[in-house]
Amino acid sequence: MRIRTVSAALALALLAAGCSGKSADKAEDAGADGVKTGPGITKDKITLGGLTDLTGPFASLGKTVTQAEQLYFDEVNAAGGICGRKIEVIVRDHGYDPQKAVSFYTELAPKVVGFPQFIGSPMVAAVKDRIEADKALTIPLAWSTTLLGSKYIQVTGTTYDIQGINAVEFLSKQGLVKKGDKLGVVYAEGDYGQNALTGVKWAAKELGLVAVEQRVKATDTDMSAPVTALKDAGVTAITASIGPSALASLAGLARARGIKAPIIGNQAAYAPQLLKTPAAPALLKGFYIVGSGIPLSADLPAVKKVADAYQAKFAGQVLDGGVLAGYSSAAVFGDALKKACAAKDLSREGIVTAHRSQSAYDNGLGIVADFSTVTAPPSLSDYIMQPDAQVPGNAKIVRPAETSELAKKYKVPVGTIS
Amino acid sequence: MSDTLQVQDQPAVIPARRRIRLPLAPVLVFLILMIIPFYADGFWLQTGLFAMAAAVGAIGLNLLTGATGQLSMGHAFFLAIGAYGYVYFAADSSSTLSGLGLPPLVAMVLAVALSGVAGLLFSPISGRLSGVNLGIATLALIFLGQHVLFNAEEITGGVNGRSVPVFELFGFAFDGTTPLTVLGIPFGGAEKLWYLGLVVLAVAAYFATGVLRSRPGRALNAIRDHRIAAGVMGVPVARYRASVFVLSSMYGGLAGVLVALAFQRTVPDYFGIVLSLEYLAMIVIGGLGTAQGAILGALMVTLLPQVLTRYSDSLPFVAPPGSGGTLSPSIAARFLYGAAVVGIVLFLPGGLLSLWARIRTRIIPIPRKKESNS
Repeated sequence: MRIRTVSAALALALLAAGCSGKSADKAEDAGADGVKTGPGITKDKITLGGLTDLTGPFASLGKTVTQAEQLYFDEVNAAGGICGRKIEVIVRDHGYDPQKAVSFYTELAPKVVGFPQFIGSPMVAAVKDRIEADKALTIPLAWSTTLLGSKYIQVTGTTYDIQGINAVEFLSKQGLVKKGDKLGVVYAEGDYGQNALTGVKWAAKELGLVAVEQRVKATDTDMSAPVTALKDAGVTAITASIGPSALASLAGLARARGIKAPIIGNQAAYAPQLLKTPAAPALLKGFYIVGSGIPLSADLPAVKKVADAYQAKFAGQVLDGGVLAGYSSAAVFGDALKKACAAKDLSREGIVTAHRSQSAYDNGLGIVADFSTVTAPPSLSDYIMQPDAQVPGNAKIVRPAETSELAKKYKVPVGTIS
Repeated sequence: MSDTLQVQDQPAVIPARRRIRLPLAPVLVFLILMIIPFYADGFWLQTGLFAMAAAVGAIGLNLLTGATGQLSMGHAFFLAIGAYGYVYFAADSSSTLSGLGLPPLVAMVLAVALSGVAGLLFSPISGRLSGVNLGIATLALIFLGQHVLFNAEEITGGVNGRSVPVFELFGFAFDGTTPLTVLGIPFGGAEKLWYLGLVVLAVAAYFATGVLRSRPGRALNAIRDHRIAAGVMGVPVARYRASVFVLSSMYGGLAGVLVALAFQRTVPDYFGIVLSLEYLAMIVIGGLGTAQGAILGALMVTLLPQVLTRYSDSLPFVAPPGSGGTLSPSIAARFLYGAAVVGIVLFLPGGLLSLWARIRTRIIPIPRKKESNS
């Protein structure tokens, strides 16, 4: 009886397996309108993926970016879509967990054209080889040089090391540091901090400064040890490549212990919410922000339009750096789709080719980008900003975007941090 | 803790087992597991792979914590050794990264052995400390591990991680590059790895059950329940504690190899304190002291959050991400997961396995006479 049961069940299973709906990937072919299509494209819909963090450490940024991207795609759909197709975005929350990110990437990869949003460099690193194999255009919300070198991954601004170089050169041009001075470098373990360190150290050497390195854990929020060390070393200026809560601690403690040296942080170190903390007075004095993401307070019609539309749609929510970062990366993706449509090739390879053919991309949101080079960041220009509680986004431009002479001489590491 | 553990004691399980000798349930489970790759899409296979890896690791931790009562917070460290060990042994050297380029099967065995050696090096501590004290001591391993993973760049690839070499067995590669179609279904890397995972998990579970049911298993339980009495009866307490720690580390290493194969890339951030806590959650939720309990717990902890997040869009009262609603699906999924965990710990102190035992004895009481016929 037992053997009969087992063999019957086995036969049934094999039969059932034969009629599974699972089949090989559909071949890319031309649709009725003569446009070549690929995964994620049907005759009336284009599906995109978003891998974001809505419950982990970057939850508030993830929410803003997701909403800003939705804002852009809603506008595109209201204007008739792209190639006669409506855009749909499937968003999955990985909660900054690489394991979930891999699972959700595996789920979305066969269904979508590409990923206009992918938060977290450890998560992008985890699926880097798969992105390469799937050929899906991906825009990470991370600006590390580890993400350079792949045709399919598009970093949208200056990398952390370039920001470091631009920061040091700004300090030097302003006369805030001079040859022989000591420069404090506080950086977090991980590709953000270590990549920034590479640039800062290189620039310090070029300008004859002595770098005093202070490495902290990415999760550390108490900066008393580095502040003590920097005070003992007698630094003239400080660069900060750490997270926002660590920055609040660094600035607050430094000013409380009488360190008057200017502090300059990467854009990723600053969050508008910091001005509601007790660290606000310290940040409003002698603190600068370096980065290629244009602030919401910028006097550009396109920026104003986005800020107004976002506030109208998501009333009462925080306006942080994610609004323009999200809108802008969605626009980069949307424009790649439009260009690919014009060339009648919406296959994944066709979209990437269309995207990479743009050597002077300008969407009116600040920076002119060169997407044609795979081995370099699309731009070398950074804004210098300062916190200001009176303006939208709580940051104002103190120096417009500029490419430093130093950054032009620098050789960008590709695929690694240094 | 000990009264929870006693629910799982062997005598409670054995009579129930003796009654159902007809292996219909195991056969069915086996068949279902065998045909899943023919139906499930990438998401399910990927999640399933993670669950199988977690199950192997949880079995190891259950030997240590569930059966012997020794708390370990350092399980993630041994997973990291297994994962990075496999990559180092199997990968070829490049200009920036070093590797030995050994055959993958050899690399897998060596990686597990390496985890065992790491566990052995820790044995002067693991043999002497008991329970919670060991938990605190093993916490140090996590920080040590993270520091090494981020800084020994030549071996670990630093923050970037390393690509994991494809597993190969006698020339058969477990990836999608060589096309293979079974019964009309294309078999890629995930489908092939699924069967590898099943085999590894089955062997791991079989071995652990053997250990637990035999003399060493009784000794471990004796140490857990009354250390001094066990010593008086002639159980070499320190030696057993150290040995089970080594064994549990090797299970951790094996889980690490599977995790690496499922990820296809090592990610240093993954092997942190949260991972260790998740493993502890697995054995508590599943049931302390048995291999089956560990497997159930691993399934629950790995699958539930991912499945809830994936299908949370269809829950009532939640707004799709990006629409600006207050209760987003991912947050709702977190709430549900939390509620499920609290529910299990509250109403099933013996873990999910005790629920299974309860159902089995109540619903299918098979008469003794029929048993002899089959």
